[in-house]
Amino acid sequence: MTDQIREQLSALLDGELPRDEMDLLMRRLDKDPELRRTFGAYALIGESLRAPGGRIAPPSFAARVSAAIDESPAIVEKASNTRLASPASTARLPQHAALWKRPMVRTALAAGAAATAVLLFRPEATPVAQLEVTPANSFAMSASPTPAQSQRLAGYMVAHSQFSTPMVRRNVLSGLLAADPGITRVSYEMGEAP
Amino acid sequence: MSRPAMRRAAVCVAACLLAFSARADDDARAWIERMSESLATRNYDGLFTHSTGRQAETMRIVHRVEKGKSLERLVSLDGSGREIVRTREEVHAYLPDRRVVLVEPRGDDGSLLKSLPTPGPTLDRYYRLSVGQKGSRLLGREVRVIDVRPKDIYRYGYRLWLDEVTAMPLQSVVTNGLGDPIEVIRFTQLQMKDKIPSRDIEPTVDATGFQWVRTGRKMAAMPQLPSNGGWRPLRLPPGFRLVASRLQPIPGSPMPAQHLIFSDGIAAISVFIEPGAQTGPRPPETSNMGSANAYSTSVNGHVVTAIGEVPAATVREIANSVVPVQGSAMPADFPASSAR
Repeated sequence: MTDQIREQLSALLDGELPRDEMDLLMRRLDKDPELRRTFGAYALIGESLRAPGGRIAPPSFAARVSAAIDESPAIVEKASNTRLASPASTARLPQHAALWKRPMVRTALAAGAAATAVLLFRPEATPVAQLEVTPANSFAMSASPTPAQSQRLAGYMVAHSQFSTPMVRRNVLSGLLAADPGITRVSYEMGEAP
Repeated sequence: MSRPAMRRAAVCVAACLLAFSARADDDARAWIERMSESLATRNYDGLFTHSTGRQAETMRIVHRVEKGKSLERLVSLDGSGREIVRTREEVHAYLPDRRVVLVEPRGDDGSLLKSLPTPGPTLDRYYRLSVGQKGSRLLGREVRVIDVRPKDIYRYGYRLWLDEVTAMPLQSVVTNGLGDPIEVIRFTQLQMKDKIPSRDIEPTVDATGFQWVRTGRKMAAMPQLPSNGGWRPLRLPPGFRLVASRLQPIPGSPMPAQHLIFSDGIAAISVFIEPGAQTGPRPPETSNMGSANAYSTSVNGHVVTAIGEVPAATVREIANSVVPVQGSAMPADFPASSAR
């Protein structure tokens, strides 16, 4: 992959890519799985960089960020220097960028993948657009669904989405695209949701 | 000030506050209606991040209006490679990790907005609505922040950053009963276009050799329960009303599932009742995808599943209250004492 493509991906995420280049890049993204993976790594790092406010990330998220960093350190540098260029976070840019480049931080992040959760960076103040995200069912004990369970739920979710408002439908279908559902076999002795 | 004068002043203040509150509700409702209309009737192409407490994924949405129908492609750019395409007649969910395509007939046969749940005039009974001041910015655009806060524990809240000109949601946050975000969708790119090329709404997944599973068939969705009896929840959260019911064929089963849809104008809840497995009752299960929760349990040899963009406890309560009935008794509301 050329540096030019990397530049374009980064510019795309920053909203700085000219429209004609954007359309071409979108088409390339449609056709090239490797490019999509790279783009995903850029977006993931960018998202984690600007997800302060003490967000607790699950181990899988930390592992993916760590893997993305290991795959392409250049991405981190580029993402750090461009992704945080929004007015709300410009003041914190040097601090974040420096933190992500420190080996200690990368080691801590990788180590965190084995623990229950990783605390991402917390800024001095949380801008409006930066929010903590709480797991919807943090009390639930997850189990992997069987393929049949997963398919049945996916079918139900698609059918259900037909009767939602456009915004909620997009939310529901995005949740379906993101991952398989975690399924919990309920035991009422386990306790109720808080 | 004399006592009658003070009383008159108090009445005036109360009336002004009520009028202000009613206007805020109307304004918020108007913004929400504009948002729904824009999402359904404009051409756009955008990249957004979908974040939950578990993960963050980047996705692309392409939406095109063609001869009065909305066509759409939603694709995960960095994860499963899954893709959902809304064609003129059907919705296709490509799941390459399972080598399966789920096919569902579209529920909106009429005009673009005909079948959409809309925030009706009673919305403010169940949500506190407010509109932020002008002047906020996001993605370099002027936005208006709309807050939709539930008045009870049975539904979620929403915070919406709507583009001042187009009312498109540049960022939306779903919040739980404590006001904590549980799902964030944030656009990093959004282009409103005059035209969207056909190729941009066609699937990119090579589905050769995939199993095509039809999870439903086209039939009229009527807002009434089957006349020959059927199933229904005995209890529903206040404000949720039956908006559609239909029969849903199940692959490999001679008996269809009954599908009931309830809505409060913003959130929707589906209840599916299907003949159960011959192996006996299964333990209850809960699951969630994004901000949607599902709960399945066994009732009288059937599997009852409630799904909705509402808290897990709400779908559990509804599924556990489903019974087979004859006649037309309508469900009762959840106990008012549980409301906040």
